[in-house]
Amino acid sequence: MLARIKSEITLWRVIVAIIFITGMYATYLRFLVGFRASTNLSDQMPWGLWVGLGTLCGIGLSAAGFGISAAVYLLGMERYRPILRASILISFLGYMTVCVGYLYEIGLPWRFWHPIVMWNHTSVLFDVCVCIMTYTAVLTFEFAPAVIEKLPWKRFRETVLQYHHKILIGVVLAGVLLSSMHQSYLGGLYLIARGKVHPLWYSQYMHAMFYLSAIPAGLALTVMAIYLSMRSLNVRVDFGILSDCGRMIQLLLIVFAFFKVLDLAANQAWGYAFQRTSEAGYFWLEMMLLLAIPIFLLSYERVRSNPERLYWTCAIVVAGFMVNRLNVSINSLQAAMGTHYVPKWTELASSVLVIAAGVMAFRYAVIYLDILPKSIPKPLSRWISNGGLPAQA
Amino acid sequence: MARRKAMLIDIKRCIGCLSCETACKQLHGFSTDPEPTLSDTAFTVVETRGDKFVRKVCMHCEDPACASACPVGAIGKSALGPVLYNADKCIGCRYCMIACPYSVPRYQWTKVAPYVKKCDLCSERIRAGGQPACTEACPSQASVFGNRDELIAEAWNRIRADSSYVPHIYGLEEAGGGCVLFVSDVPFEKLGFKAAPTGNQPMPTLTASALGDSPKVVIMGGTILSALYWVTQRRREVALAEAEEKAIINRIKGERS
Repeated sequence: MLARIKSEITLWRVIVAIIFITGMYATYLRFLVGFRASTNLSDQMPWGLWVGLGTLCGIGLSAAGFGISAAVYLLGMERYRPILRASILISFLGYMTVCVGYLYEIGLPWRFWHPIVMWNHTSVLFDVCVCIMTYTAVLTFEFAPAVIEKLPWKRFRETVLQYHHKILIGVVLAGVLLSSMHQSYLGGLYLIARGKVHPLWYSQYMHAMFYLSAIPAGLALTVMAIYLSMRSLNVRVDFGILSDCGRMIQLLLIVFAFFKVLDLAANQAWGYAFQRTSEAGYFWLEMMLLLAIPIFLLSYERVRSNPERLYWTCAIVVAGFMVNRLNVSINSLQAAMGTHYVPKWTELASSVLVIAAGVMAFRYAVIYLDILPKSIPKPLSRWISNGGLPAQA
Repeated sequence: MARRKAMLIDIKRCIGCLSCETACKQLHGFSTDPEPTLSDTAFTVVETRGDKFVRKVCMHCEDPACASACPVGAIGKSALGPVLYNADKCIGCRYCMIACPYSVPRYQWTKVAPYVKKCDLCSERIRAGGQPACTEACPSQASVFGNRDELIAEAWNRIRADSSYVPHIYGLEEAGGGCVLFVSDVPFEKLGFKAAPTGNQPMPTLTASALGDSPKVVIMGGTILSALYWVTQRRREVALAEAEEKAIINRIKGERS
């Protein structure tokens, strides 16, 4: 008996257990004791890790859903259809983590519905709230067939999917527009903080910068997730698709780099990059991880066509993207606000808990639903419709 | 505008007695111990800059950044002048604290149900015809309350009558101006007053252009995407029709041979 229990304990299970225990404790501190006990936030740094990592990175890294669905549904790039569902699932779960994170962030979480009925159209945050809520509904709609086709009632399935198909294109189009709006408005949030945001990041086109950087980062995360699914969940995807994604990521990063260089020049901010300040250090870290290294690596066929190398390159893109968002939301504000903010462990623990829950949901969705083509049919085959073949979205 | 009230703070006259701070704390029922900076229990503080004393307090902007930023419209400019916070609407997102160019709003970090806290220019009292607790308590007339137009005239009079004053009223035009005005005999930048990041433009203009572009972007983006979709569909239809044609031709050929 003891030996059996022992064999059940693996490294990853221990890690998951630690994540859940610490995360639940942090959640308890946040909701039942308050911000002082659960965060290092202060009047000088009212937004910290939850906004920087949870919301800005969470939404940005979920950008692949609208990118791939626009490519497949609207532009007819059928080549990417095999990874369409996976990218929509990643976006859906990403937005779910942001919606849960929203409850941690706002001081009065039971009033989460206020932005739906109390409008302030001059507020960028209001637009972000409304766009994210609507787009989460769009993602739920886009992802719904994967669940509906598993339902045992044939008539119901067919009717619903038929109507679903009829309005799908309209919903996809709305989703692309909604995404474009709030991906950029997340950067637009900081437009009003002129004088507080460091000149290396402040620009009157901050919203455009956020938009341009989100799409390659979202694609990179999708490539990572699919690679991991291929490695551990018996998923078989034509690797050529991921190689092409790598090429696309490189192209998008070059576009972003081009505009970032121009933008810094237009704001006469290049001088700040060569000062001996911590901001300049963080700026170069971001430039190396998000732009220089990935653009260099992805120009090699050797990197693009090797799954492992592509995976790690995408990991660098994602890391660089996170550095960028944390730079904007935390590092760029510290000097002007006269404070030094280091997140409390509970902030990190609760963020990691929410992200881990999203990752686990992704894993089980890939195992039990037809998200990605599988080589070996999994158990619970009576749930698989369409003769076990992955159904078309 | 005629009804706008305002507060004029004269740094030359301020003796640093902290009466304003104490009166404010007493009115709100807080402990009267002085605090170094604004907090959720100190809506105004007197900071020492060299041998001068500078009051920190909400500037009650004409076009407030906090009010434009609040997603639920919990902050608004009232007709008499005070920028007021509606605790019943607030969700606690703290975007007002990010937006405020003077970093005035404070948060109740220790509470389980926390709210934003800031000076309301004693709105209840001035609506009843009175004046704020701080100006009432000021023994040296360094903080005075009155109609905004009259106080602006008064400020210029003081500047004109005494050449030691800096010829500038801080708060009159900064970030679109507000209802708290400062005059001083020491240059403002030496006292820690920051030039407003937008000059004399109200802060909300910073987001107005980005938000104003969105309908155009949506309409243009929607049109372009619809057009692209139409092209995609059309190409698919043509390809299908061609394939069918080919199949028919092949069948006819097969029948003939």
